[in-house]
Amino acid sequence: MNVVEASGLGKRYGGTWALRECTLAIPAGHVAALVGPNGAGKTTLLNLAVGLAAPSAGAVTVLGGRPAGSPAALDGIGFVAQDTPLYKNLSVADMLHVTRNLNRRFDQPYAQARLAELGIPLKRKAGKLSGGQQAQLALTLALARRPRLLVLDEPVAMLDPIARHDFMALVLTATVDDGVSVLLSSHVLTELERVADYLILLSRGRVQMAGEVDDLLASHRVLTGPAAEAGRYAERPVVHVRRGEAQAHLLVRAGPDDPVPPGWEAHPVGLEELALAYLREPGAAALPGPARGQALPLDTGEPSEVTR
Amino acid sequence: MYSDQHLRVSDAERQAVSGQLAEHFAAGRLDQAEFDDRVGRAMSAKTRGDLRELFADLSETGAPAGPELPRGDGGTQGGGPHGPGSPIEFRLDAASGVPTYLQLVHQVEHALRLGYLTLGDQLPKVRDVVASLAINPNTVLKAYKELETKGLTAGRPGQGTFIQATLSQVALPELAGLRKALLGWLVAADGAGLDEDGMVALFTSALRDFHERRSGSRTRGGAASSETEGVA
Repeated sequence: MNVVEASGLGKRYGGTWALRECTLAIPAGHVAALVGPNGAGKTTLLNLAVGLAAPSAGAVTVLGGRPAGSPAALDGIGFVAQDTPLYKNLSVADMLHVTRNLNRRFDQPYAQARLAELGIPLKRKAGKLSGGQQAQLALTLALARRPRLLVLDEPVAMLDPIARHDFMALVLTATVDDGVSVLLSSHVLTELERVADYLILLSRGRVQMAGEVDDLLASHRVLTGPAAEAGRYAERPVVHVRRGEAQAHLLVRAGPDDPVPPGWEAHPVGLEELALAYLREPGAAALPGPARGQALPLDTGEPSEVTR
Repeated sequence: MYSDQHLRVSDAERQAVSGQLAEHFAAGRLDQAEFDDRVGRAMSAKTRGDLRELFADLSETGAPAGPELPRGDGGTQGGGPHGPGSPIEFRLDAASGVPTYLQLVHQVEHALRLGYLTLGDQLPKVRDVVASLAINPNTVLKAYKELETKGLTAGRPGQGTFIQATLSQVALPELAGLRKALLGWLVAADGAGLDEDGMVALFTSALRDFHERRSGSRTRGGAASSETEGVA
């Protein structure tokens, strides 16, 4: 089952396309990270997936074909928007009460138990909680709906390191306990490597790279060698080149078995390095496996790889 | 793995849990209000899952598995008696550049070499590792699968992962011989004008070549092991 499936999805605000020709399929059972620079269309894509915005083009379904925004889709999704919106003047207990009454399904004992574990006092106003506690409260309210898919928009951007750790620990424990799939957006690349096992790279409103992190890392390497020969290396697609006077680093699409040219050294690539290289080459695309068992049109109108 | 989550609990268990909470209170881990609240919840708890939640932030190893529900070793970071938990605790070095799952594999191997882990010991439960390190559960599963492939551990359904082999140590005389050979190489490198950093760089580079050649030939020989995927 795919937790999110989009084909030709686009969203236009006035004359500007915030997202266009977005085609992807995120399989269930992953913690998927949606990565991209500011303005790449991350929030737009998430809002379309949870049904807060209507597409200008194409279509998006969730949880195995339920149209985004339909009651069936909403029942299965827990969403925490950017800046973890809460009613700041309501007490935590009242937030629980409101959320319970606004949702068809709400696991009150679960929410209360979680809040007690987190040490969040029920009587305090939501606005008086620390940033970390506000995020935890918003997450708890989302999880208490017992969703199959948890969607988080920039969940840890405003949190200090400990609060980030605790927040992600709660998210990841939910994936173990309840089998929740997670889709989260972030522009903090460093911490994603631990958390995410599926990556979607968005750039300028388009999907640039998508796939399981392990597959993406295994299919790329960095070759280091003499700069003079950098141009001659053409056996495998070169994604990104960093060149000095004498030495050059090529990020290439090549597996561990592919031959290394004589005089060159091959290194494995990390997630951050890989993502940065692609973001610096908006023309490059790597879409090795966005769809399981179905062909997808990748008509981005650009070559799938760029050789410089 | 948590099949007993919905098991109904008895008054005796509720009482025992209250005793545990009192210990945490006495140790200063709970304040008065938290303690009152939790005892109240313990008394109205219906299932083992309910009781377990009362301890989720108190004990690293979290949930007791057997019928003696409240274990209460009180250990928060690997301290205290271990009982049915694991003797080791994982840590992560974000700056090492080593993939997370490989770090876990290496730590188990290291603990085996140094005797922290022996036959029959249990590895930390996946959920506990996820909760304490905030890492993807699939990463832990991948590490445990790798250890199983290496023949070091075996999974027992519903219980966890256990050590089933030790790592053979290189005999001491052999180790001394290798060390001597390495010293000879160091002298030669020094004579050639290489400084310490240069030696490390050269050794690291050669080791990586060696490693890649070996894992490369292994991958071509058959199905790619998860180790080779990781270093690729």
